[in-house]
Amino acid sequence: MARKLYEIIAKVLDVPISEINDESNPETIENWDSFNGLVLVDELEDEYKIKFGLNEIVESNSVKDIKKYLKIHGVNTDD
Amino acid sequence: MSLDTHKISYYISKAKSLNVDGFEKKIRIALLCSFTVNGLEETLRVLCFQNKINCATYVANYNQYNQEILDKNSNLYKFKPNITFLILDTRSILGDLFFSPYIISAEKRKEYVKNKTDEIQELVNLFVQNSKSKIIISNFGVPTHSSYGICETKADFGLQEMVTKLNENLISNFKNEALVYFYNFNQFVTKFGEQNIFDYRQYFLGDIKISTKYIPTFANELMSYVKPVLGLNKKCIVLDLDNTLWKGIVGEDGYNGINLGETSSGKAFVEFQKNLLSLHQRGIILAINSKNNVDDAMEVIKKHPNMILREENFACMKINWNDKISNMQEIADELNIGLESMVFFDDDRVNRELMRFAMPEVLTVEFPDDPSQFSMMLSNLNDFNVLKITDEDSNRGEMYLQQRKRTELKNKTKNMDDFLNHLNIKVKIKKANGFTVPRISQLTLKTNQFNLTTKRYQEEDIQNFVKSPDKIVECAHITDKFGDSGITGAYIINKDNDREWSIDTFLLSCRIMGRGIEDGMLDHIIHQAEKDGITRIKANYNPTKKNISIENFLPEFGFKKENDSWYYYIDRKAKKPKHLEVIVE
Repeated sequence: MARKLYEIIAKVLDVPISEINDESNPETIENWDSFNGLVLVDELEDEYKIKFGLNEIVESNSVKDIKKYLKIHGVNTDD
Repeated sequence: MSLDTHKISYYISKAKSLNVDGFEKKIRIALLCSFTVNGLEETLRVLCFQNKINCATYVANYNQYNQEILDKNSNLYKFKPNITFLILDTRSILGDLFFSPYIISAEKRKEYVKNKTDEIQELVNLFVQNSKSKIIISNFGVPTHSSYGICETKADFGLQEMVTKLNENLISNFKNEALVYFYNFNQFVTKFGEQNIFDYRQYFLGDIKISTKYIPTFANELMSYVKPVLGLNKKCIVLDLDNTLWKGIVGEDGYNGINLGETSSGKAFVEFQKNLLSLHQRGIILAINSKNNVDDAMEVIKKHPNMILREENFACMKINWNDKISNMQEIADELNIGLESMVFFDDDRVNRELMRFAMPEVLTVEFPDDPSQFSMMLSNLNDFNVLKITDEDSNRGEMYLQQRKRTELKNKTKNMDDFLNHLNIKVKIKKANGFTVPRISQLTLKTNQFNLTTKRYQEEDIQNFVKSPDKIVECAHITDKFGDSGITGAYIINKDNDREWSIDTFLLSCRIMGRGIEDGMLDHIIHQAEKDGITRIKANYNPTKKNISIENFLPEFGFKKENDSWYYYIDRKAKKPKHLEVIVE
């Protein structure tokens, strides 16, 4: 379980953590608009001390995508 | 982030559930921006909430500021803002010239800047005329790039000079316009760094020119303007001594054992004191609240060669073994200022917690553990701002010193009448004019205790009253044998009809309360009324939490209550105070 990641997403998007899974995306979570997406990027970068590329932000369309890009930056959220 | 702010996600979520019921202070803020500022509105509302301000906001559509200002029926005007922020960025104002300024001649560049100056100036003037709102213009960020590289400063009216000149033009052209202020965006960039504030990714993704991470810091900067509009500025800094003004504990380490300026960590305290002194010189009152042997502490304050703040810089010194809460109350009483105007600095965490618990009105600043950060902490506080620095502000330190001497005389003389007679008080009544209007407005905004109606008026309001033939707007300049207290009283009278006047505003600064000055002022008003053939004067007392001290003023002077208002019939013999002289200028 990617508890920490889910917690951050839940906090930023203001939804219960139980509503989040790897398939969650802007379609399934109402607050996940482009602006909150950027705020989420801020929080993830702060938490994991990394910096996403522009393309990675554009391509992050679900929790699964976020995990994929975090992994590229050496962050394994499923530990 | 160096400021004590939360992340933007905190503000966005918090903004959804703010209960502003019962907040007396209200403000309407409009944001006009040339780029995306998502989150700014939410953050401002939360920051207002934290300062007990009921805040309504309006955000103009993305890059629609021109249309909103030009169209008299726009939503912007319908919103009726009190304060408006115009936040434009250099890219949008320069267009292609932002990258290629040198494809046109220096003459053309000058012309471009002149035209832009005129354009913005006209727009702002139009807005001010239509809205009567204060407007704060964020100045244009000077580009840090140049194709000329190191030769940029040699260029004839180069890119950076263009933007600098545009800023200078606007600031200078609006210098005397009371409703127009500037926010120094370049200072913001210098302080926090362009590479932090401007994130290319966010710019490409959503035309964001202040990164989401720095929106809370930016909002906090804008609050520097919101707080003084509502008179929420702090007036007094109350300081601990040991490990706050110097390193070490004088009672234990001794005069020679404390460290002030000798070593690197001692230098931090000297720097901190220098910054405090500079605030003092511009009108912030300093006081001491310290648990110490008074002789030990005074030896340092009077004699230590590296001490910057001396006895004469403190309006009040509580150096004793009493608890800090009682001391704080005594300082407030002696200086006659409210707890909500005070800031408390103490290195001791427990003292701070105690103060927050016992006196939540006092702003107890989270003091850094590391003394090297004290000065930064002080410069980050935006609670001392006023919209205009008046003579009274710059002379305040001197006035409080005089006040300390008055208190000493009061303690020496036997009774109150004796004391008042010794003071040789002169009340100079002055008409409202260009010199006094800013101060009169400031008094209506800041005076809480001796304020009959607590009506708050901006400078423009006072100016309009002055123009009206049906109003009297005057102020009182007080001097006595100890010195000049400046303009510290004011009143606004409505000439309702041939027989009756009513008091719209009547106030005294807390600094000069308790000296019968109010009787002198009111007596003067009655004399004027008598000359005009007026038979009675009407007054209303609007009770607030803080103006209880004025409650008995009207009946004691001879006003009678009829229904909900108080009336004074001119045929009565006025209560003329004998200990002071009223002079009409």
